[in-house]
Amino acid sequence: MWLTSKLRQILMVLRAGVVTLKYPFEPRPVPEGFRGAPVWDHHKCIGCGGCADHCPARSILIRDVCQELRVMLYDGSRCTYCGRCADVCPEKAIRMSEAYELACDRREDVTTRLELFMLTCQRCGRCYEMENKNAIDRLSLKGFRYDNLERRALVRTSTERLSPELLKKTDH
Amino acid sequence: MKEQLQERLRHHCTAEGLTLDRADPRQWFVDGPRERVRDFAAAMVTEGARYVVSMGYDEIARNGTLGLVHSFAFDREGLFLHFRTNAPAADPSFESITPDIPNAGWSEREYMDLLGLKFSGHPKPKRLVLADDWPEGIYPLRKEVPHDLVPPAAEDVAYQLEQGPPGTTTIPIGPYHPCLHEPEHFAVYVDGETIKGCDYRGFMTHRGIEKLCTTAVSYNEVPYIAERICGICGTVHATAYSQAVERAAGIRIPRRAEFIRTMMLEIERIHSHLLWLGVAGHLIGFDTVFMQAWRVREQIMWLCERLTGNRKTYGMVQIGGVRRDVTPEIREDILGVIGQVEKELLVIRKAIQNDSSIHRRTKGVGTLSHEEAVRWSLVGPVARARGVDIDVRRDHPYAAYDEVRFEVPVFTGCDAWSTLQVRMIETFEAIRIIRQVLEKMPGGPILFEFQDPIAPGLHAMSAVEAPRGESTHYIITGENNRAERWRVRAPTYPNLQAVPLMLLDEQFADFPIIVGSIDPCFSCTDRVGVVNARSGGYSVMTRFELEALGRRKGESV
Repeated sequence: MWLTSKLRQILMVLRAGVVTLKYPFEPRPVPEGFRGAPVWDHHKCIGCGGCADHCPARSILIRDVCQELRVMLYDGSRCTYCGRCADVCPEKAIRMSEAYELACDRREDVTTRLELFMLTCQRCGRCYEMENKNAIDRLSLKGFRYDNLERRALVRTSTERLSPELLKKTDH
Repeated sequence: MKEQLQERLRHHCTAEGLTLDRADPRQWFVDGPRERVRDFAAAMVTEGARYVVSMGYDEIARNGTLGLVHSFAFDREGLFLHFRTNAPAADPSFESITPDIPNAGWSEREYMDLLGLKFSGHPKPKRLVLADDWPEGIYPLRKEVPHDLVPPAAEDVAYQLEQGPPGTTTIPIGPYHPCLHEPEHFAVYVDGETIKGCDYRGFMTHRGIEKLCTTAVSYNEVPYIAERICGICGTVHATAYSQAVERAAGIRIPRRAEFIRTMMLEIERIHSHLLWLGVAGHLIGFDTVFMQAWRVREQIMWLCERLTGNRKTYGMVQIGGVRRDVTPEIREDILGVIGQVEKELLVIRKAIQNDSSIHRRTKGVGTLSHEEAVRWSLVGPVARARGVDIDVRRDHPYAAYDEVRFEVPVFTGCDAWSTLQVRMIETFEAIRIIRQVLEKMPGGPILFEFQDPIAPGLHAMSAVEAPRGESTHYIITGENNRAERWRVRAPTYPNLQAVPLMLLDEQFADFPIIVGSIDPCFSCTDRVGVVNARSGGYSVMTRFELEALGRRKGESV
């Protein structure tokens, strides 16, 4: 009894052989549709802020430093690679890349920063509505936003007109 | 049978003057005054109900009360029953149901900590969730407390573990798990080599997920956060959360999405059971099983990477459906991989089922009788190994489980060997379910886009059979596009409470495999607390020493 099961086990192990990969000397290619680090295409980005509103980790921040300039910051150090940003982007400006070796010493190495020149809406200053009218997916924060990029903190406030007071208040 | 029970319940509620809400045939809500709590709970236990969980919630802004829900399940009849009651915030005291239902002990302690409820007659009213240096009088789940509050740490406070029986030595295990590499603390009282009792202090990985998701993000982001409650059964939590919201809002999702959810849940079950098999082998010093089970499991992980874009935390489930479809190529891929896994698993099974060392290390170890398993409301393979015939997939069907055929393995050995057998058979059943799902999967859309906002104040619970047992999520919908209250109960929550009983009179070297046999997941269980327990001045045995002790015993048999 004991001997037969040990023989079976030896056979099982021998048949399997060596399965360990030679990583990191031979990196394994990733399959199609892999969700690696998100990459922004600044030509396509319209600065609607949908990705920032829907990031479960709240690691995409937006700060309107003046009427014309919107700064968008993606902090990869807390990213969970769920791909939600790429899903909700109305312009398909975000792509989940194949990069997965992302460990690094400096936070800046996994940070993406876009400086977007924004036009002024004649009616309200700034209004973007995604085509998607889903009540759940609606953009919750419209207009001007004041996330703190230094502290990497989301400030859940937005205003219709640029507010210099709020900009100053959220600065530190 | 079902009609008789419903008739009796209706009759009971009318006789006692309780309001009964029967809008959803799968779950009924009973509202009553707080004086009735204990009588009602006792009556339900007499009726043969299984206690599920309790939930407290803050309604101070609405009507100045703190609410409490006790949930019960009638598994034969496929019915959940929730008893809702409340108490004014000035005097939030309830009668404890723990003397009748031992498993309610943790739930009640949790809401003493988090909401400041008081339970008279509770046998052990000590801190459970909150850190020992958390200031008195701040109840983090109350609405007035912000989700990012960090009170200053205090010095010289420690959890007072119970004194062991006289003549025993206390061996602290923790605050990091010796075999499962997760944070918890057991104080084990031993007499020589025999365990005479134990005290548990856990909840060290509280991440405040429930609070965060009811204050900082909206409905549709939560599945991705819920998935991270557990590193192993993520889809279970995402599915249970989504189902709870869908049930509360009355959303019907496309049938194809339900089939894909079922498939993902079963793929996850295969990977989880293989992982457990490997860990169990490792704990008893049988590393051949560990290496081979994990080799076979790796194919499932790679399959998931091709299927969902990641080997774990799949991100497949969303409220209203799923994110990625199953293409014909992926379908062939899945069939190929599960066929290969089935073949290799049969080889492993044949090689180990008659192995004398695995028998000697698991048979008669961690015994707990059928009666105790029922009394402690155990769930999952731990209960099924003790002759308790429950399985949410069959008893309270969700997703596409009403259309697939599968066996629910039940063993009566009441020990670690039986749980191993249950999990082994369940893995083969999971493969069977995946084949049926792929065969019967209808066409159509995979996501239901809903237009209307979800009304606030709706209650719903959903249960999903995780690889470790029943996982339940209770939702109260709220304003601002997010839930007002979300209560997660992972299967380890009830099962871990019975571990002191399983350990009683066992050998100390069997401690890892006994705790391992419930397949504990501390981060699931701890989802709600920040705890900083200090073990005090014990002499500490390192993980390697304990593991080596467990493994040396394997060598000697």
